Amino acid sequence: MNMLFFQSEETLHEWLASREAERGAVLSIPQLWELSQRWYHNRMALEYHGRTVEQVQEIFKELGLTSAFWQAM
Amino acid sequence: MDENKLWDIRAFVYQHFADMARPPLVDEIASQFALTHEEAASAYEELHQRHALYLRPGTHDILMANPFSGVETPFRVRANGKTYFANCAWDSLGIPATLHADAEIGAACAQSGDPIRLSVTDQQVQNSDALVHFLIPFREWYNDLTFT
Repeated sequence: MNMLFFQSEETLHEWLASREAERGAVLSIPQLWELSQRWYHNRMALEYHGRTVEQVQEIFKELGLTSAFWQAM
Repeated sequence: MDENKLWDIRAFVYQHFADMARPPLVDEIASQFALTHEEAASAYEELHQRHALYLRPGTHDILMANPFSGVETPFRVRANGKTYFANCAWDSLGIPATLHADAEIGAACAQSGDPIRLSVTDQQVQNSDALVHFLIPFREWYNDLTFT
C-alpha cells in the first residue's frame, strides 16, 4: 500500500529517508480529487469494463501528469 | 459464463458495496443470479483475472473492488450515512467520486500518524495542506496490486 497521505513535505521527506526510498510522484489534494473524479466517475456503470493502457495514459495526459513516472513504458 | 452475465455480476458487486458498505459473498451472487455456488465462484475468479475485482488469495472473498476495500483499512470514508473503507489515499477520494456523494474522509499522515481529515461537498474537495505520495511508477502498478 503505497499511495499514502502526508501532512507536509517534511514528513514525506522523513518517511522516504527512513526507508531509503526514492521520491515518486506527489499530488496535492485538489489534484488527487481531479484524478479521482476522472478515474472513478463511471465505476458503477454496467458499461464500465475497465480501461486500456492507452485510455489510462490519456487521462494522465489530460490532467498534466506527463512525467516519466506516469508513462507506461 | 456468458459475457453479459459476468458484467452484470460486476455491476451487482459495486452496487452491493455502495448499498451495504461490504462486498457480496459468493452465495449471495449465486442466489441473485440463479447460479450454483461453483458457478458464482468461477465468475469471481474470472472477474479477478480481468482485474475487475481482487480476491483474497486462496479464497473467493472480495478483498478489493477499487475504490472499495472488503476489509477495514486506515482510510475511512463516511458517505450516504455509511462507513466505507478505501484501499489507499487515492481510493479514499475515489469513493465519493464513485458514489457522486458528499464524504468525510479520515486517515492519517503515514509518517507522523497525525490525523488527516478531508471533506467533499457538492463534488468539490475542501483544500488541504496534505499531500499524496505515489511510490510506484505507473508501469509497475499491476505487478503487485495489493502493494500499489
